[in-house]
Amino acid sequence: MLIYTVKRFFEMVIVFFLFLVISYLLFNAIPGNAFSSLLLNPLLPPEAYQKTIEAFGLDKPLYERVQLYIINFFKGDFGYSYTYYPRTPIDLIAERLPRTLMLFSIVNVIAFYTGFLVGKILAWRRGSKSETWITIGSVFSYTVFYPWFALMMLWFFGYKMDWFPLGKFLVPEKWYDSPYTSDEIFYTLILFVTVSSFLLFLVFIFTRNIESLQNRRNVRFLGLLSLFALAAMYWSNGEAALKRFYAADIAFHMILPTFTVTLVAFAGTALLTRTTMMEVLKDDYILTARAKGLSQKRIRDRHAARTALLPVVTSFIFTIITIIDGSVLTESIFSWPGMGQLILEAVVQEDIPLAMASFSFIGILALIAHFIADISYAFLDPRIRIKAEN
Amino acid sequence: MENQNIERDIKATLKKNWRLFRQSRLGITGLVIVIFFGFLAILQPILFLTNVWDEATYHPVVGYDAEQVTRTVVECPDEYPTREYETKEDCPRVDEVNIRYLKAFNIQVEVGDLYESNVQPAPPSSRHLLGTDSLGRDIFSQIMEGSQVAFLLGLISAIIGVGISTLLGTAAAFYGGKLDTYLMRQSDLVLMLPSLPFLFIISAFAELKVWHLAIVLGTLGGLGGSVITIKSQALQVKVKPFVDSARITGGSKRRIMFSHILPNVAPLALLYMVFSVTGAIASESVLSFLGLLNIDMSWGIMIYLAQTEGFIFTGLKYWWLILPAGLAVTLLAGGFYLVGRGLDDVFNPRLRRR
Repeated sequence: MLIYTVKRFFEMVIVFFLFLVISYLLFNAIPGNAFSSLLLNPLLPPEAYQKTIEAFGLDKPLYERVQLYIINFFKGDFGYSYTYYPRTPIDLIAERLPRTLMLFSIVNVIAFYTGFLVGKILAWRRGSKSETWITIGSVFSYTVFYPWFALMMLWFFGYKMDWFPLGKFLVPEKWYDSPYTSDEIFYTLILFVTVSSFLLFLVFIFTRNIESLQNRRNVRFLGLLSLFALAAMYWSNGEAALKRFYAADIAFHMILPTFTVTLVAFAGTALLTRTTMMEVLKDDYILTARAKGLSQKRIRDRHAARTALLPVVTSFIFTIITIIDGSVLTESIFSWPGMGQLILEAVVQEDIPLAMASFSFIGILALIAHFIADISYAFLDPRIRIKAEN
Repeated sequence: MENQNIERDIKATLKKNWRLFRQSRLGITGLVIVIFFGFLAILQPILFLTNVWDEATYHPVVGYDAEQVTRTVVECPDEYPTREYETKEDCPRVDEVNIRYLKAFNIQVEVGDLYESNVQPAPPSSRHLLGTDSLGRDIFSQIMEGSQVAFLLGLISAIIGVGISTLLGTAAAFYGGKLDTYLMRQSDLVLMLPSLPFLFIISAFAELKVWHLAIVLGTLGGLGGSVITIKSQALQVKVKPFVDSARITGGSKRRIMFSHILPNVAPLALLYMVFSVTGAIASESVLSFLGLLNIDMSWGIMIYLAQTEGFIFTGLKYWWLILPAGLAVTLLAGGFYLVGRGLDDVFNPRLRRR
């Protein structure tokens, strides 16, 4: 396992450098001088102009510029953003990246879990009426034109029903006399979500080996209840009680985007799980399990679903990239100030240092997600790590 | 004589496959949808050529039609809800006009009169089946133009992508070694690339037209994950006895690759082609929705216009501006996806219902 991880890590480092070089060359290929809009930008004082030329080595030959870009990347130095002048791209990314990560990881987990659940049920009920309807629904949400769908959701739930806010990150009126900045509150929120999802994960791991399905469900339910109780205790005591009001505001703004992306993202997983489950259900050992007289639910959850999980996890590696793409759209439609909105803004306003920095960071985000998924796949399927170690 | 036999064989296989495809209801639904949009795409030039449609009125980009609409004059109340109108947005309705608005232009009318004027966007009528947009352009004609763009883009990019990935995948499986390692790392890199931001950046400095976008999307799709899948399929074919016998009888490497392995990988490639059309259509619509493409008219642009002109939050009052374009993208992408599912049943015998 360790050998495999180290090997993958080295491969990842190589791919990472290749990515950096390619992303630099991409910007370099912009016709004319990539940084020419610098000269036209009245917001930039001469020092910033000089600084940018020096930072990117604009008067040097190409290979030196590429070198300089890689070095600068590790130093976190991308010059100045053209549109937000006194701020640097790194500063902006440090502010925006957590927001994207939070939204994106919550959606990922929920979408994967519901997708797997729905796919499992679909394969099990093959040929029934409900299967046809759920399949049509999943195909619709898999192929629906996402921006249009998101706008419709925004219109229906945000405008017509008025249940949720129309995009944005927070309501400024509530924050006038706030003793905290929005970032502070948001970090508390991130911490809270991380800790509670970790606890939830622990509950699931520890209850995994309970034989009786009924008992297992009850124990899990109890665990969930106690988690809720813990959360309620946390938010009603000490400093968290003061932060509660503001945290609730941010969390309230997250519901609609999360719901919308989940609705679209779960379908891919569901359809794939259905296919792999159907192949697994034709295997002989399922017939054996049936002949032994095991209950239907046990065959489905314990025998078939576990084997069917593998290809779904592989495809999850690819789905992560799709969800990152989707988050770019989600952010621009729901005006969620994250990385996606940042890169779109930078591209539209030709703010090259900012676009370069955010593109590189999104790439790295994808790379890390890819790496984690790869490792967890090897962890799940012993065939892969044995093959890699030999 | 032999040729005739082969021809008959091909016909028999096609017939058998068609029979299998016909059994999948989803596949047939998809095919019907795709054919419907294909019909729309072909119909528009025919209508223009036969002068059924006048170009000045029905052109999707520069056409203009001032439609005379008769509306009832009403007075909108100050407070809502009333018996007739629930919210402020409901008054005036599509077939009504507010008297205060007319008074502002010194037009003398009474409440209850009929008032005739030009309106844009005009609701659906017999002249314009899906109404007109805010510039007086026919929506139905725009939908037709959009389906031409979608078909052009989807098919070109799918052909390019599948061509590249089939060639590379078979080569990787057949030659193995360094070429294989290189190609696999390359597709890792392409898979990892967040494609939407990548397309943003390309569109920032290049004036992307449909052709350019098709080539970019095709290349990206062709170098990515499909190479890996096709390679694994080709590896399965490579160890079959007929490849060995071809080698023993002295077939050259190139001949074995092109006439023995490639035809056996082709069904999977076709499947990929159908699925990648879905992706291409969606990407085009997303990019033109964000206003990053240099295209006159497409479904994405129709939604972009509806959003930027503020019609999206009017809900169903101006439904003909919002629903047709979004549904068209969804339906055509879904149609291609369903055809792919149907083909999957044909080429993947393990899934067939026994």
